[in-house]
Amino acid sequence: MKLFAAILVFGSLWGFAECIIGSMLRDANLPAGALMTGIFALGLMTLSRGGFRQPGMQAGMGLVAGALRIVNPFGGCFLCSAIAIMAEGILFDLLWTGFSFDKRETHTLLNQASFGISASYIVYIGGYFITQILTPVFSPAGFYLENLVAFIPQILASGLLAALIGVITVPAVFMAIRLDVTVKDRLYYPLTLGVSALCWIVVIINTILISWF
Amino acid sequence: MGKDRFLPIIALCVLAIASISSIYVYTTQATTETILINGHHYTIDQLFTITKPRTFTDLNYSGIALDDLVVQTGVKNPEIHTYTIIGSDGYEKTVTWENMRNGVLTHNRMVVFSDLPKAFRVKDVVTIEVK
Repeated sequence: MKLFAAILVFGSLWGFAECIIGSMLRDANLPAGALMTGIFALGLMTLSRGGFRQPGMQAGMGLVAGALRIVNPFGGCFLCSAIAIMAEGILFDLLWTGFSFDKRETHTLLNQASFGISASYIVYIGGYFITQILTPVFSPAGFYLENLVAFIPQILASGLLAALIGVITVPAVFMAIRLDVTVKDRLYYPLTLGVSALCWIVVIINTILISWF
Repeated sequence: MGKDRFLPIIALCVLAIASISSIYVYTTQATTETILINGHHYTIDQLFTITKPRTFTDLNYSGIALDDLVVQTGVKNPEIHTYTIIGSDGYEKTVTWENMRNGVLTHNRMVVFSDLPKAFRVKDVVTIEVK
């Protein structure tokens, strides 16, 4: 039960960041995708997985964050972003499990930084590829392979910033995990559910305000 | 030793792929003042002169109607073709005539469709291919 509450709160925080902070970054013409993946997505997924060591957790977080993105149309296409977020969660989960990161208590700084680069890049371009395929598939225009093939170099290049951010994010989160901050059992559910509810309420209010004005 | 011993090598490969791709993209990026439509070059001002305006108030975009643009640039039987819109960064999207009827080309050369997701928006359009 604690795990599900954690998936809900981390997924909600991720979705909240994508909806509110991500949209602000896009409006400021900053590389929102790479910043969101390299800092928030990678940071929250590393923090949750490092703490709980449960395979499947980040895929669940991606579903929660993607669902939150769907209810918030701030910034235009919510379907593409939601698909990308869900794909990012699944990819991170597969990478962490694939590299057997749960089996060790500690990791060298070199491995942390290397994982940060690899995971951030693969998660980012993986999400990009998947959304470029699935979004047209679910749209009236349809999917054309040549559109994707022509843009592959740009997708591969666009992940560089995310990779460079990941080299800092993952070691920083591992340092935070070592601080071993824990929440008392009696506060755990009220806190996780309260934070999750707050994230959803703010995003929904934001959606209503946008549709009004 | 676990699988994580490969991590530094994978990270180096990732950085190499991303860096080489960035160099490739930078060196091949097309910059042009005109838009190539159906084999002819037009400036954006020319296109705005010959084509009907269109506004998407809910999306906050205005410009010229893509379907009229196709007709005005001499495409015969426009409904039987598909249209590939290509940006200066190489981003391209292929759409149908029905989509073109819900599309707009803005003055800063961005294509927006009211019936398609944001992934179909192409910035800094350099070519509209008729297929």
